Amino acid sequence: MNYSLAFRHHHLISVVMALILLACSLSFGLGVLKTSAEISWLDVIGEGSISLFTLMWIAFLLLSRPPGKVTTALIWGLALMMFSALLDVFDEFVHHAAEVDWLSMIESIPATFGITILSYGLYQWHLEQLALNKQLQRRESLARDHSQIDVITQLYTADYMRNRIAQQLLDNDHHDFSVVMLDIDDFDSFNRQHGHQEGDRILKDVANVILMNIRANDLACRYAGDRFILLLPQTSQNTANDIAQHIRHSLQHLAFKAPASNQPIYQSLTYAADEFRPGDQIDSLIQRINRRLDQRKSLIVNV
Amino acid sequence: MFNMKAIRPFLCLNAPFLPAQQLAASIIDVATTRGVNKHKLLRGTGIFSEDLIQGKTLRAEQVLALMARAQTHTAGNDCAFQVGRRLFPGNYGYLSNALLHCTHFGEALRLLTRFKMQICPFIFATRFDDDKQLYLGLQDSLGCGDQWQFILEIYCTALVSASKLLLGQRIPFHFDFPFARPKHIQEYEENLGYRLGFSQPQLRIRVDKEWLNKPFIQQSQNLKRHSIYQAQQQQTYQHGFLDAVRLALVNAPQSNLQQVATLFQTSPATFKRKLKQHGQSFQQIHDEQRRQQAILLLNVQGLNNEQSAQRMDFDDVPNFRRAVKRWTGLTPSQLRGV
Repeated sequence: MNYSLAFRHHHLISVVMALILLACSLSFGLGVLKTSAEISWLDVIGEGSISLFTLMWIAFLLLSRPPGKVTTALIWGLALMMFSALLDVFDEFVHHAAEVDWLSMIESIPATFGITILSYGLYQWHLEQLALNKQLQRRESLARDHSQIDVITQLYTADYMRNRIAQQLLDNDHHDFSVVMLDIDDFDSFNRQHGHQEGDRILKDVANVILMNIRANDLACRYAGDRFILLLPQTSQNTANDIAQHIRHSLQHLAFKAPASNQPIYQSLTYAADEFRPGDQIDSLIQRINRRLDQRKSLIVNV
Repeated sequence: MFNMKAIRPFLCLNAPFLPAQQLAASIIDVATTRGVNKHKLLRGTGIFSEDLIQGKTLRAEQVLALMARAQTHTAGNDCAFQVGRRLFPGNYGYLSNALLHCTHFGEALRLLTRFKMQICPFIFATRFDDDKQLYLGLQDSLGCGDQWQFILEIYCTALVSASKLLLGQRIPFHFDFPFARPKHIQEYEENLGYRLGFSQPQLRIRVDKEWLNKPFIQQSQNLKRHSIYQAQQQQTYQHGFLDAVRLALVNAPQSNLQQVATLFQTSPATFKRKLKQHGQSFQQIHDEQRRQQAILLLNVQGLNNEQSAQRMDFDDVPNFRRAVKRWTGLTPSQLRGV
C-alpha cells in the first residue's frame, strides 16, 4: 500500500486525534466507571461499530485523496460524526453525575454539524468529479475500470478498447467510426541503445503526444508493446488518416532527451487507419488494421 | 536386458544452476518498473537482492516461484513478453557473442541446441524436417507446472526478437500452442506475429526452410569460435531431468519404471518421488512420448495408419486408432489434416 498521501494531512490527522481525545476526556473525566454487570454489551457492539467504521472511512480518505477543500470537508464531517458516536459508546461505560447531564443532552449535536459538512463535501466532490472526468477525456469514454489502466502510459489497455468498440458495434446508429493503429518505428533499437527505462519514458511521451492531437470525443489506448490504438467516433477513413498524420508530424518534432545528454532524439511512427465496414466484428476489424500496419512497417524496413 | 546408454549429467529443479543476474534479474526489472515492490516480489522465493549483485546461482524452482509472484503482482499481461525482449543479447555473455557471429540462422539453431541449458534450461526442443519446413517440438524439461505458458511467452518472444536483431528482419515463425486462444491475444500478435495456432495437438514452432540459410549481419568465424570455446568452459549439464527420462525412453521405448530407475542408478521408489517433484509420473511421460511419436508419424511425415501402427509396435490398426484418439483427442485422419 502507498502511504505517501497520508503524510500530507498532518493538520487533518491532528483534528481527528484531538476529537478522539476530547471524547475520551469528556466521558471518562467527568463520569464514574460502571461495574461490568451494568454494561450492556449489545449496545457497546452496536454503537462501537459505528465509530470504528467511521474511523476506517476517515483512514481510507486520508490515504487516497490529496489535501484540498473537498478532502477537508469530508474529513471534518466524518470526524464530527465519529465524535458523537464515541460519546455514545463511552456513555455505556460511565455514570454521569447530575451536574454534567448536559453532556448526554449535547452529544448528538456534533453529528448534526458533521452530516451537514459531509453533505457539503460530497456535493463539492461531485463537482470535482465532473472536472476530473473532463480531464480524463480522450483517455476514457463512458465507462471506468481502474484495473484496466496501463501502468506505463496511464492510458487504458487493449481490453478496455475492445469493450468500447463492442459498445459501438452494439449501437446501430453509430457505425460510422474509424480505428487507427500507431506503432513507433524502430523501438527495439531505441531500447537497446538507451535502455528499457528510457523506452518506458518515451512510451509515456508518445501517449501524451497522441492525446494532444486527438479530438475531445476520441479515445486513445495502449494496444501492446509500442503499439497504440485510437477509436474515432463519427469519423471517416480519410479524416482518421488526417488525424494520424497530425500525430506523426507532432511526434517528429518532439525532441526527446536521454538523461545526461542534450542531444535530442527524434522518433517517427507508422500508422494504419480504417473505418467500420458492414459485417465487421471487433477482431476482424482490428486484425485488418494490424495487418495493414505490419505491411507498411515491412516496407520501411526494406527501404 | 535392454540396450543401456549412459545417462549424461542432468539438471533437477532443486539444484543451484541459473545465474541470478540473467533471467531472474530481467523478471525483477520488468516487474519493478511496473510498480511492484521488490521485497514483495521476492518474498518466499528465497532470492535476495544481494544474489543478483553477486551473481549467485539459483535453483530452477526459485525462478519458477519468482515467475509466479511476478505474474500475480504485475498489472497487465505483458510481463513475460517484456522479459523475453530483454533476454538477448544482454543476458548471455559469451553465448550471445557466439550467436551474433554465426553465419546463418541454421547454424545459430545448432548452437541453441548445443547450449540449450545455458540459454533456456526450461524447454527441450526436438527437431524434425520435412521438404519445406523445419519443426521444433517443445517439451517441458523440468516440470514448470503453472508457469509453463509464462515461460513459453518469454522464450518465444526472445526467439523472435533475437532473430530480428541477428538478421535485420523478423523471421516468419509459425507457433502452434496447445492452450486455447488467450484473452491477451494482442501481446502474442505484437511480439510473435500473426502465424499463431491455438488448441493444437502439439506444441511446436515451424519455420520455412529457406530462412535457415539467410546470412546474419555480423558473421565472423573467429569471433564465433572463440566465444564457443569460452561458453564451453561453463557447460555443466546436458539437459533437464525430464529430458533425461524421455531420452532413456526414446532409446528403449518398451522399458518400464524399474528398468529406467536402474539406468538412473536409483531405486524405483526414489525415482518415482523424483518424478513427482518434477510434476510428472512415469506413465504420463510414457504416454506423452507415444503421443509425440504418433503426431510425428501422422502429421509431420504423413504416413498412413498401417505404417504408423507398425512403427509404433501396434498389432492392429483399430487399436492404434483408439490409442491416437485417446492421446490427442483426434482420429489419425483428423491429425493428418491439422
